[in-house]
Amino acid sequence: MAEEKKGRAVATSTAAKIPKFVRGNLSATLKAKEEGKKVAAAFIADGQDEIMRAMDIVPAWGESFSGVCAAKRDAEKYLQKAESDNFSRSLCTYATCNIGFDMMREELGGATPEGAPWGGMGRPDMMLGNGQLLCDPRFKWPQATQHYQQDVPVFVTNMYYPPWDPNADHHEQEAIYVKYATEELRETVKFCEKITGKKMDWDRLAATVELSDKTWDLFIDTYELRKHIPTPMDTGDAMNTMVPLTFNLGTQEAYDFYVDLNAELRQKIADGVGVANPERYRIIWAAGLPSWFALGDFQYFNGKGVVFPVEVTYRGCEKIERLDLPKTNDPLEHIAWRWVRYWTHWYDAAKKRPGSTPKVERIIEYIEDYKCDGAVFHSAFSCRSWHAGIMQQAATLKKVYKDIPILIMEGDIVDISSYNEADTHNRIDAFIETLAAYKKRQG
Amino acid sequence: MDYFAGVDIGSTMTKVVIVSDRIEVSLIGPTGPEHRKLANRVMEEALNKACLTFENLTYIVATGYGRINVPFADRQITEITCHAKGLHSLLPSVKTVVDIGGQDSKGIKVVNGKVMNFVMNDKCAAGTGRFLEIIADSLGVPLEKIGEISLTAEKIAAVSSTCTVFAEQEIISRLASGEPIANLLAGIHDAVATRVCSLVKKLNVEADIAVTGGGAKNIGLVKALESKFGRALLVPPEPLITGALGAALMGKDIFAKYMAEGQKPTRSVNKLEEATFFE
Repeated sequence: MAEEKKGRAVATSTAAKIPKFVRGNLSATLKAKEEGKKVAAAFIADGQDEIMRAMDIVPAWGESFSGVCAAKRDAEKYLQKAESDNFSRSLCTYATCNIGFDMMREELGGATPEGAPWGGMGRPDMMLGNGQLLCDPRFKWPQATQHYQQDVPVFVTNMYYPPWDPNADHHEQEAIYVKYATEELRETVKFCEKITGKKMDWDRLAATVELSDKTWDLFIDTYELRKHIPTPMDTGDAMNTMVPLTFNLGTQEAYDFYVDLNAELRQKIADGVGVANPERYRIIWAAGLPSWFALGDFQYFNGKGVVFPVEVTYRGCEKIERLDLPKTNDPLEHIAWRWVRYWTHWYDAAKKRPGSTPKVERIIEYIEDYKCDGAVFHSAFSCRSWHAGIMQQAATLKKVYKDIPILIMEGDIVDISSYNEADTHNRIDAFIETLAAYKKRQG
Repeated sequence: MDYFAGVDIGSTMTKVVIVSDRIEVSLIGPTGPEHRKLANRVMEEALNKACLTFENLTYIVATGYGRINVPFADRQITEITCHAKGLHSLLPSVKTVVDIGGQDSKGIKVVNGKVMNFVMNDKCAAGTGRFLEIIADSLGVPLEKIGEISLTAEKIAAVSSTCTVFAEQEIISRLASGEPIANLLAGIHDAVATRVCSLVKKLNVEADIAVTGGGAKNIGLVKALESKFGRALLVPPEPLITGALGAALMGKDIFAKYMAEGQKPTRSVNKLEEATFFE
């Protein structure tokens, strides 16, 4: 058949180091006991990373483990286990997959269930939940799984930031939110001190926070290299290269990873190597977690000359200078300011564009900076807290910015029963044809 | 004279249209598991009907879910683009297309025959032709009659389940409790129309609105959709062939572009050969 010749996707070799990070994080939870360390069931982007790292607490990332189960297409047994205790499929499948795994482990007296992907995850000594605006399951998930692990103490904090209100001055509110978040983090430290029996080394925490700031800066500097045409790295890779920032923040290994990635991207640019050749369309991954069992779909896009030079998802940091953080000697207050400003620093730009919102403004900024022709949103049915509002974001983007082609993909993060490869590829093909027509109209 | 063929392999029906400066022939046949054989057979029949040979065809475009299984096609284009193109040629005033196929339903926003945006339901049978087929079968009513029968309903029987299996169960128990078939069919059409309408309204719906696909041949469903959209809907004379027609017209455009650039289009194959399913 006379199909168009497909380009070849080129992944970064630095991304190949990611499985080592993920396996290392999982095995650390299993080895912690013999090393005399405590394990904390923890959640990403809650501001607690540096506290755990500075106290030698080993984080057990449930979201990461569920993602691994999904990527290995081996989550169904855990989902079914949770479902057998009436946890609905419409709940967060990161949570239900992990709860199902916890249930099985408890039935085995704490031993790792046989056949657990990548060796499974160790039993926690504590659970650090977090009720905040990003994700609601982190409030109930630890409480739900505590039914099966009743001896494991749960500590749930709250990290809030000023809600978006175009008529309010968030600058006046920020300090109040920072004060609240700082106190929450201080209570987290006290809880961790109680469980570990060790006192926080505040100098070590300050040094860890400083390293995190450096990692944030380096991450953004590195990702901004993707503005180059053709882009040297795609979102398909970024769904892997986010691991050190997201799960290993505050460690030298995370920083060093981005040093390597930065060098590789610079080399690719110098050599003229792009993800797709030719690069026909540049798309932003505008919102949503990916279907971990279908990351190959990025290759499908790439094979048709479509690249994603930028994504909102897992870009969980910003240049520290841009956040204009007030000076403080308290590392917890610094974390709190960084947390609050990470969310609010798009507010001023959003106020300048009538009808816009910070989330939409962020997408517009990336579309402009990375010269994107269209946007893809992924609506994962079980990820309610993030994915609710995606349709409205897409509609607002079209209304306040441009009527650019938008593809809403539907699926889930873990539950593969939501996925149909043929239909997904059909939608992608139709989207690419829409892009072609759009670009033709634009001249 | 140049002739261009469009082949639309949908989930339940295969359609072929051959055009020159007019529609020469259109043909519809069922889609089975053996897409390739069927595509050949329907194409052969279409050529016979138009008194043409395969060699007379200048360019062939395949569309629909089975488009990659058409060995003699020169190009594959999605049904979204082809529907927009085909419908624009028949009803140029249409800006929104509602297509109700055998196993999916979709909405397409069209400007000058080009796709501006689209939405698809391909995750759930409710809202598709297959749903209606199953219900018609449960009620023992021929599929082609359900539309007319539903229009005789005294009231719309509410069908609460949106799952095909449970809706079928619900229909059977309602039938057993004495609910007239016409009321139940009206309820089913109302349920499908509600689902399709909420899908399509994700697009910024603009009039005129047209319905295509097998669902457009069901007058009961079309009336239910008109009630949900709050306006009359347009239905092309043969609503099943818009995709294949669009494909043929896309082929014509592609050929014209080649000619304008002084190039000869690359053809896939020179003759129509029987293909085996497992090759």
